[in-house]
Amino acid sequence: MMRTRLAIVIGMLVGAFVALGGPAQAVTVSVVDLLDDPELYAGQEVTVIGELVGDYGFRRDGTMWTQLNGDSYAIRPLVDGGPLRGANIGIGVVMPAELGRQLDPPGRYRRLGPVVALTGIWKYHDPGRQGETYLEVQSVVVEAPGRKLSEGPNWPIYGAGFALFSIAAVIGLVYRRERDTTS
Amino acid sequence: MLIRPAADDLRTVGAALGRIFLVVTAASGIPIVWALLTREWNPLGSFILMAGLFAVIGATLIRVSLPPTSKIKSDQRHLDWSHGMVVVALTWLIVPAIGSIPFTLSGHFGSPLDAYFDAMSGLTTTGLALVQDLDHLASSLNFWRHLLHFLGGQGIIIAALVLFAGRGMTTLFQGEGRDDRVLPSVQSTARVIWAVSVLHLVVGVIALGLVARFVLGFAWERSLFHGLMIFFAAFDTGGFSPQSTSIGYYHSAIFEGVTAVLMVAGALSFGFHFRLWSRSDKRLQRRKVTYDLDERDQPSRWSLLKNLETRTILTTFLVTMTFTIVGLAAMGMYSSVAGLSRQGFFQILSAHTGTGFATIPSSELVAWSGLAFGGVAIAMAMGGMASSTAGGVKAMRVGLIVRAVGDEVRGDLLPEGALVDTSYYQFGRHRLTPEVARSAMIVALLFVALFLSGAGVAIAYGVPLQQALFESVSAGASVGLSVGVTTPSMPALLKLTYIIQMYLGRLEFVAVFVLIGFLYSLVKGR
Repeated sequence: MMRTRLAIVIGMLVGAFVALGGPAQAVTVSVVDLLDDPELYAGQEVTVIGELVGDYGFRRDGTMWTQLNGDSYAIRPLVDGGPLRGANIGIGVVMPAELGRQLDPPGRYRRLGPVVALTGIWKYHDPGRQGETYLEVQSVVVEAPGRKLSEGPNWPIYGAGFALFSIAAVIGLVYRRERDTTS
Repeated sequence: MLIRPAADDLRTVGAALGRIFLVVTAASGIPIVWALLTREWNPLGSFILMAGLFAVIGATLIRVSLPPTSKIKSDQRHLDWSHGMVVVALTWLIVPAIGSIPFTLSGHFGSPLDAYFDAMSGLTTTGLALVQDLDHLASSLNFWRHLLHFLGGQGIIIAALVLFAGRGMTTLFQGEGRDDRVLPSVQSTARVIWAVSVLHLVVGVIALGLVARFVLGFAWERSLFHGLMIFFAAFDTGGFSPQSTSIGYYHSAIFEGVTAVLMVAGALSFGFHFRLWSRSDKRLQRRKVTYDLDERDQPSRWSLLKNLETRTILTTFLVTMTFTIVGLAAMGMYSSVAGLSRQGFFQILSAHTGTGFATIPSSELVAWSGLAFGGVAIAMAMGGMASSTAGGVKAMRVGLIVRAVGDEVRGDLLPEGALVDTSYYQFGRHRLTPEVARSAMIVALLFVALFLSGAGVAIAYGVPLQQALFESVSAGASVGLSVGVTTPSMPALLKLTYIIQMYLGRLEFVAVFVLIGFLYSLVKGR
């Protein structure tokens, strides 16, 4: 009985030591959470999941800047038949350039960027960067690689467009001929 | 008794409209080439459709308005003042309607009304947007959005004037809210405006592209793409951006600095540009660009600083900037002076020039209250210089109103019979007549009514007062900053209200009122 109690106490102490002294767990948040209450997470380590979009800007200071979108289009963009769900929801992220070089190209037209889980410090109105707000990434986990999307021509639209041009051309030619004849 | 417009009036309007649509058809060729080069086949079809429709309408209008049997040539039809206003008002209604076709067909808009909203916002250089999933939008469609800024900012009519000289074209020029003739003829003035624009285009795109390449580290082709898009939106004080996070996307003070210079350039009148960059002051004098000068007031570059308009815009900028920075400091928004200055400066400059770029998300802007909110809202309402691409009440009118009120007060304070100097300096000394003061006050009051009515509609839909007012001023003054009211899910009536505000604000009321009168007399006149 005594041994059991001792074991429980030791177990609790170890648990408390791990909880207090071990490395802090990053809070998993969404991009919407960060934008809705950016001050709440200021200076905290957070993990955010989303699609990298736009450009990878590799700067001379050894960092790479890009944008992380946490909206429904990160799963299925409109070009891929996704539903309309409002505007994009994104934040700026910066990471060491060597992390950025391993990633698939960012999302754009006809391309879904890599969906990644980024862990880093949420910098809110960072005084070191004159008040900018962004995520300073420490680690990247690729949840889904980027992929190409396709969108082919809409032939009926082409047909209608060329038909209209033809009509305009005919009107113009006939008009010019009539005008020349009259004069 | 109302007089119904005669068939000849309709033909005159139709002929001018037809020519303008042919110019827009040519402009539509640019996104077609872009889509071809980037192999964006789906948008390409929609651009061909759009251009085809412009061409058919243009050709038909000319055919109907100028029958082949008519002895009158197209450039001989005399456009009187009301014809010009009707043409301008119709152009600014119809061009976004047809120009929104590629947006509607792209699938990035919830309805044709949303697409029309964005096209109107683009053409009026407002910058409010209802586009969805912008970050996956085709580059050619993005280009078209920004080209609409350029067409609207530099003026479709101006482009038509460059290509087609004609009698009575001055009224078209004035209908777009411009009255700044820097050269004796309207056509040569239009050429100067386009020359200034093209010069800025080349310099601006190169500057932004170099920053994007060497500071931001973008690939070459993307650097030029961003440079071109941001140039169109900054110089035309538009506010669209190729990415959903606006200028905040670039995270660069240098990029923001170059953009700020272009925004200021866009908010200056073309007369100001012309006088600033003219090679010699004598050339200006030779061309008699001023109205009633005496020898002491001959124009020079330095005289630009004496202008009532310049002094007014500098004053209002400094006042609203001070309001905003003090307000932000009081709210404890930024912990560093550098942060406060950079973020406050950019937002207020964007608001005052009527551009609408932001380095912070709308969810953060909505939290600005007190002086910070007041500073931005007042800056948006003030706008840039007259005859520039900026909207709002405009610095010239604000200066004239303040001056007129000041003269009244001084007149009351001075002994009876004392003479009050009622002159002001604007490229020469002018007398501030009661007519000039009244005209400025009427337009300013119309703008206030426009802002309040838009806010009223938003409040009716449950939008809080501060946000309703902010968004309404943004739409009416062609700015484009948003506190999150403008979303694809907002009520259709509110979308329509903002469309009307953008339209009225850009054309500064007169052309629209004349169009309404023209249509009314067409129906009810005898």
